[in-house]
Amino acid sequence: MRIPFIVGLVGLAVLSGCGSGTPAPSGDSNTTTTPSATPAAPSGGNPSVIKIVSSLPHTGSANAQIMTIVNGIKLAIDEVGGKVGDFTIVYEAWDDASPERGQWDPAIESANAQKAVADPDVMAYIGTYNSGAAKYSMPILNNALLLMVSPANTWPGLTKPGVGEANEPMTYRPSGKITYYRVVPADDIQGLVAAQWASEMGCKKVYVLHDRELYGQGIAKMFQQASGPLGLEILGFEGIDPKASNYRSLVTKIKQSAPDLVYFGGTTQTNAGQLAKDLRAGGLAVKFMVPDGCFEDAFIESAGAANLEGNTFITFGGLPADKLTGKGAEYYANYKAKYNSEPQAYSAYGYESARAVLEAIRIAGKKDRAAIAAACGQIKDFDGLLAKWSFDENGDITTKTLSGNTVKNGKFEFVKILGQ
Amino acid sequence: MSNTEVLLQQLIIGLSNGMIIALIALGYTMVYGIVELINFAHGDLFMLGAFLALTVVGALGLDAIPEPALLSWGFIPLLIIVPLFCATLNWSIDRLAYRPLRDAPRLAPLVSAIGVSFVLINIGLFWGGLRMDVFNGGVAAASPKDFPWIVSSANLLGPDSNIILTWNELLVFAITVPLMIGLSVLVKFTRLGKAMRAVAQNPTAARLMGIDVDRVIGATFLIGGALAGAAAVVYSSYNHTIYFQMGFRVGMDAFTAAVLGGIGNLPGALVGGLVIGVIRAMSDQYIATEWTNVVVFAILIVVLTFRPSGILGATVREKV
Amino acid sequence: MPAGGIRRILVLRAGWILLAIALVLPVFDSFLPREFQFAGLMRPIFILAILGLGLNVVTGYTGLLNLGLAAFMAIGAYSYGILTCDIYPYQLSFWTALPLTICIGATAGIVLGLPTIRLRGDYLAIVTLGLGEIMQDTLKNLDGITQGTQGINPLPAPRLFNYQFSPENWIPWYYLLLAILAVVVLFCRNLEHSRVGRSWIAIREDEIAATCMGINPVKVKLLAFSVGAELAAMSGGLWAAYLGSTGEPGNYDFQISIIALCMVIIGGMGNISGVLLGAVVMIGFNSILLVKVTTILAQKGLIDTQNVITVPSNWKYMVFGFALILTMRFKPEGLLPSRQIKAELHEMDEDRRALKKKAGTK
Repeated sequence: MRIPFIVGLVGLAVLSGCGSGTPAPSGDSNTTTTPSATPAAPSGGNPSVIKIVSSLPHTGSANAQIMTIVNGIKLAIDEVGGKVGDFTIVYEAWDDASPERGQWDPAIESANAQKAVADPDVMAYIGTYNSGAAKYSMPILNNALLLMVSPANTWPGLTKPGVGEANEPMTYRPSGKITYYRVVPADDIQGLVAAQWASEMGCKKVYVLHDRELYGQGIAKMFQQASGPLGLEILGFEGIDPKASNYRSLVTKIKQSAPDLVYFGGTTQTNAGQLAKDLRAGGLAVKFMVPDGCFEDAFIESAGAANLEGNTFITFGGLPADKLTGKGAEYYANYKAKYNSEPQAYSAYGYESARAVLEAIRIAGKKDRAAIAAACGQIKDFDGLLAKWSFDENGDITTKTLSGNTVKNGKFEFVKILGQ
Repeated sequence: MSNTEVLLQQLIIGLSNGMIIALIALGYTMVYGIVELINFAHGDLFMLGAFLALTVVGALGLDAIPEPALLSWGFIPLLIIVPLFCATLNWSIDRLAYRPLRDAPRLAPLVSAIGVSFVLINIGLFWGGLRMDVFNGGVAAASPKDFPWIVSSANLLGPDSNIILTWNELLVFAITVPLMIGLSVLVKFTRLGKAMRAVAQNPTAARLMGIDVDRVIGATFLIGGALAGAAAVVYSSYNHTIYFQMGFRVGMDAFTAAVLGGIGNLPGALVGGLVIGVIRAMSDQYIATEWTNVVVFAILIVVLTFRPSGILGATVREKV
Repeated sequence: MPAGGIRRILVLRAGWILLAIALVLPVFDSFLPREFQFAGLMRPIFILAILGLGLNVVTGYTGLLNLGLAAFMAIGAYSYGILTCDIYPYQLSFWTALPLTICIGATAGIVLGLPTIRLRGDYLAIVTLGLGEIMQDTLKNLDGITQGTQGINPLPAPRLFNYQFSPENWIPWYYLLLAILAVVVLFCRNLEHSRVGRSWIAIREDEIAATCMGINPVKVKLLAFSVGAELAAMSGGLWAAYLGSTGEPGNYDFQISIIALCMVIIGGMGNISGVLLGAVVMIGFNSILLVKVTTILAQKGLIDTQNVITVPSNWKYMVFGFALILTMRFKPEGLLPSRQIKAELHEMDEDRRALKKKAGTK
C-alpha cells in the first residue's frame, strides 16, 4: 500500500512539473549558467496599467529612512501625473523586513520577488535597500527579465566582475541579460574615497572594524585595500558582535595600538551607535569614520548626539538633499513642499530610481518586461539629481560623486565633495 | 598604554560587566533552585525594566539636563520604581503562567516560560513605539534607544590617566554588592530564607512542616524580579543603549553564569557572573572579538560536560 | 478499546486528510483572486515540517530537549551549499548532495552529541542552546570556507528527468517538497514502531526502568539525537535549495529552534500528524496569514508604519507567546496528541484531582 502510494506521489510531482514548465535544454550539466528560455510572463492583468513595486525594510530601525525613500518614489510618479504614455502607473510599497530580525529577512525578500514575478502587471521592482537582500531577489527577477533598480545597494559584486566573488555578477543573471541597475555608486568607490579622505585629514594609523555583515564587512575590506597604496597603516581588522551590550574591552584594545582613526564598516542596525558611545566612554578621542549605512537620523539618535559631535565622519554616495543643485534643488524644494519634512539621505535615490524606471517605460513604449529592462540600459545622459548620467555596461550609474559629512549640533553637516 | 594598564583596565571592565550579569543570574539561580525551572522570561523581564527606566527618565525630564557631576537625583526614584515594577511583574507571571503548572511534567513550565518571554519581547517592541522624546517620538519602535547619562563620566583617576575608572563602574559595585550581601543575609538568617531553603531541598517535606510553599515560591519570584529591575537600571546607566531584543543575549550570559557557578547556588551566581564578564573582556583583548561568544559558550559546554554541578555547586545525586 | 480505536483511526486519518488537502490545494488556489492566493507560500511549511519531525524524534519520542536544532539545520544548509555551489570543487547535483547532506547531519549529531548526551534534562537544553549560538558565530568567522555573511549562492535547483526546477514556477517545487515530506513521514512512522522507536519511548517514560530492561540509554539517546540532527540537516539542505542560497549564518538562530519547538508542542508531542498540523498552524500563521493580512491592510491604507501597533506582523510574538502559554495551561498534550502522552497527562490530572479532593481545602 505504502510503496505504490509514494511512487504515485512522485509521479504526480513529475507530471505536474513537466506540464507547467518549459523543459530546460538537455545535455548541459552546468545548470547555473544555462540561459533558460525566455519565460512566458504570467497572463492576465490590466493592459493599460503598469505596476511598480518596491521592496524595502519598513519594519525596523531603518524605517524613518525608508519612509522618505518611498516618498521620493511617490514624488517621481506624481511628477509625471501617474501616467507614462497611455499607461497608468500604480505603485505599491512592499516590506521585506521582519520584526524579529529588525531588518530585511531572506525568506520575505525572495517571497516578494516571486510575488512580483507572478503578478502580470508588475513591470519594475525598486529595491532592495540592503545588498544582502538583493542577492536573493536578483536571480529570480532576472530569470523573469523583470527590471530591478536599486536605490541603495552598494556591494560591488552585484554588478561588477572581478571585484566581489569569483562567480559574481554572472551568478545573478541566469538569463544572461542585464536587468539590474543601481543609481548609487558602489562600495569599491566609497571605500576608496573614504580612505583618501582619512589620509587627507592627516590620519596615519587606522583601526578597521566591521559588523561581519555583507555590507559592513565588504566596505571595510574595500577601505582596507585602498589604505595600503595611500600609506595608511592598518593596525587591526576585526569583526564585532552587533548584539554585544558594550564594546569597552574592544575599545581598550584599540586604544593600546593608538590609532588616529577608527573606521567602522557597519550600519545603525548593527550597533554603530553603541560603538560610538563606547569609543568616547573608553576615552578614545580619535576620529570615527563610518559609511553611508549610518547616514540616517537614527544613527545620531541611537548614538547620542554628544558622542558624535565634531569627530565623526560619514561618507555618502551622493550629496545631502539640501546641497543639491539644478534638478536636485528642484527635487528638494518639491519634496519639502509636498511632505513638509526633510528627506533623509537615500530619499533622493528613491526618487532617482523611480525616474529611471519611468524613463525606461517611456523608451520601451510597451508593457513588456524584457523590453522595459533592456530600455533601462539605454538611458543616456539623463538629467539626474547630481549631474547628467548614464548606465554603464554593468548597470552601474556613471556618476561617482560622493560627499563627506560630519555631525554638528546634533545634525549631519556637509563637509566636502569627495572623489573628484 | 602599558600591558599592565591594559590588563587592569580589562579587569575593571570585565568585573563591571560581570557584576551586572551576576545580578541577573541571581534571578535565574533562585528560581531554578526552588522550582527547577529555567525561567526563559527573566532576561526579557530585565529588558522591560530598562524600558521602564527610560520612560521614567523621560517623564522626570532627566534627558534634558546636562550630565551630572556625580549622580543624578533621578537615580533614587529609578532604583525604587523599576525594581518594584519588575518584582510585581515577575510575581504575576509566576502566578498566572507557572503556578498552574507546578505538578505538570518539567517541559510544561519551561515551554510556558518561552511563551512568556515572547509576550514580553512583543510588549518591549510596542513600548519602543511610545510617543515620547526619549523614544525619538516612537517612530522607529524597533531601533536601539539612547539612554542619557545620569552618572558622571569623568575619570576619577584624573583626565590624563590611561586607565579609566568612573562613577559608572563604581556605581555598578555600589549597587550590586549591597544587594548581594542583603540577599545572602535574607536567605541565611530570616524565616523566609529558611523556608526558601527548605522548599528548595524538598517541597513536599516543606509543606508537611507547615510552610506555605506557593507563598515562598512567590516571594522568590518577587526577589528575583526586583534584582532584575535593579540590574536594568544599572545596565542602562552603564551601557546607555537599550533595545527590545537585548533580553536574549543578556539573559543567555546570565544563565550561563548561573550554570557556571552552580545553579541554585547564590555565591555561585556571583562567581559565574564575574568569570563570564572577565572571560569576555580577556577574549576581546587577547583572542578576537568575533570569537568571544564562541569562547564563552564553549567554556559553558566544557564545564557542564565535565563538572555539571558548576564551579561552586555540590555534586547532587539525582533523585530517583 | 473502542474509544481508543476510534481515536487511533482519527489520528491516523489526520495525516491522510492533511495529505489530501495538500494535494488538491494548488488547484483550489488557482481559482482564488490573486491577492488571496497562498499555496505558493506553503513550501516553507513542508521544509520546516521536516525540522519539526526531527525535533519530534528528539523531544517527542525520547524526551530530550534540544534547543539548538537550528545549528544542525545550518550544518545541512552549508553542507548542501558547499557540495553544490560552483565556487567549490564538488558541484554535485541536488539528488547526490541531499543524501550526503543528511549523512553529514547524522555524523554531526553523533560527534556533537557524544560529549553532551549524558547531561540530564535542563543541562542538555542549555548546552544545545549554546551550540546553536556557537554554530552561527563559527560559520560567520570561518569565512574562508563558508563565505561568512555573504552566504553561499547561487545554489542549483533540483533537476528531475530533464525538468529543471526554477524559482518562478512554484508548482513543481510544491509537489517535490510534498513528496519528500511524505517520505520523511513514512520514515518517522516506521521508526516510531520499530525496536529503536519503542526504546526511545521507553527512555522517555522511565529511564531507569528502561535501563533495567537492557536498553543502553546513552546509545539510544545518541541515536535519537543523531536522527534529529539528520532531519534538521535535511530541512536545511532543502531550505538552501529552495532559496537558492544558504543565506547568512544569522538566519539559523534561536528563532528557528523555537519555531520547531512550537510546532511540536502545539501540534502534539510524539505524534507525527500532530507535528504536521503544528507546522501548518505555526508557519501558516507566521508566513502566510500575517503576511497576507499585512499586505492587504497596507493596500487599503490601514497601516501606519510609523505606529508599531497597527502593523499586524508586529503582533506575531504576542500571538506565539500566548499560544504556548495557553496550550501548556489548558491542552498540554497539544492539538493532536500522541495517545500515550495524552493518557499520561490525564492520569496525572486525575491523580491531582483525587489529591485535591482528599486535601479538601484547595
